[in-house]
Amino acid sequence: MNADKTDRLIATAIAALPYRRPSAGFSARVMAGITAGAPQFWLAGVLKGAGLIVTAWAAALAFVSARLAYANFADAAALLIQPGGLPQALNLLAARAALLLSKLAAAVSLASGFVSAAAAGLPAWYEIAAAAVVCSAAIAALSHSGRFARQGI
Amino acid sequence: MPETETELVRRCLEGDNSAFAGILESYQDRIYSFALRLLRDPVAAEDAAQEAFVKAFRALSSYNTALPFSSWLFRIAHNACMDALRAGSKTVSLDTEDFPDLPDRSAGVADMVADALDSERIEALLGSLSPLYSEVLLLAYREDMGPAEIARVIGAPEGTVKARLFRARELIKVKLAAVKAVDATV
Repeated sequence: MNADKTDRLIATAIAALPYRRPSAGFSARVMAGITAGAPQFWLAGVLKGAGLIVTAWAAALAFVSARLAYANFADAAALLIQPGGLPQALNLLAARAALLLSKLAAAVSLASGFVSAAAAGLPAWYEIAAAAVVCSAAIAALSHSGRFARQGI
Repeated sequence: MPETETELVRRCLEGDNSAFAGILESYQDRIYSFALRLLRDPVAAEDAAQEAFVKAFRALSSYNTALPFSSWLFRIAHNACMDALRAGSKTVSLDTEDFPDLPDRSAGVADMVADALDSERIEALLGSLSPLYSEVLLLAYREDMGPAEIARVIGAPEGTVKARLFRARELIKVKLAAVKAVDATV
């Protein structure tokens, strides 16, 4: 008898071990356990959907922000090419940024009140998505207000 | 024709919790026996098996149907058993491999094994091993898993699995030899 045969005997003996059966109430306890904390699989889909909405609105927010920056860049660039234009360009950008920020702050503050009231009890996803929508709308409105928008952009 | 595991899993994911009863019926003895042989305590084994099934149900959406369901379920059971062993302060070193020094096997050990190992003896021998070793033996021979599948179950490299299998077999042979030596002196 060699080592391989011994290994085979060990393997055969282990393979022949009987399965033990848990106590009578085991299945019922497991089923009760899963029912008590049953996951709502549809919730995963809802959360994924909410995540996609938030991402989409965040992308929109980034787009309108970039568009606004681009619209104002031309004014600043026009000043920059003049001698001593750098301070003027910085002042212009600072003033517009301050004005925009104050308007945004006011708009977001007002909107957040509505959103908080409307989204109370809902997951944070909804509030974030709503905030992104409000910010995008505010920036888009401001960028088209004439003061900040440029023709043809 | 009985429903396949994939169909049962799909029904569970669609919200039909009763489909899990089919999975439970198919696996409860295997998972409980696996836990019992690692934990060596029927109550702890039932608790670990129950925890494994409940966790499996809750994690069904993460199950990759391209892989065998059994190894996925045994992976969860393995984790539940390791948690139970740690909670029970039983030493299961998962970070450092505990390789005991093995004496050279005497030439006669193979003969001492005799032509058959009865269930009671092999059960006792498995019980005398560290869970790290008895686990790989059970998965390899009782559950008929290959080293790669066992590696997925226990979360260790395939080389480690093969080394543990080798060591586990050697340990059993050494213990058998010791038992036979004691028997011979009596």
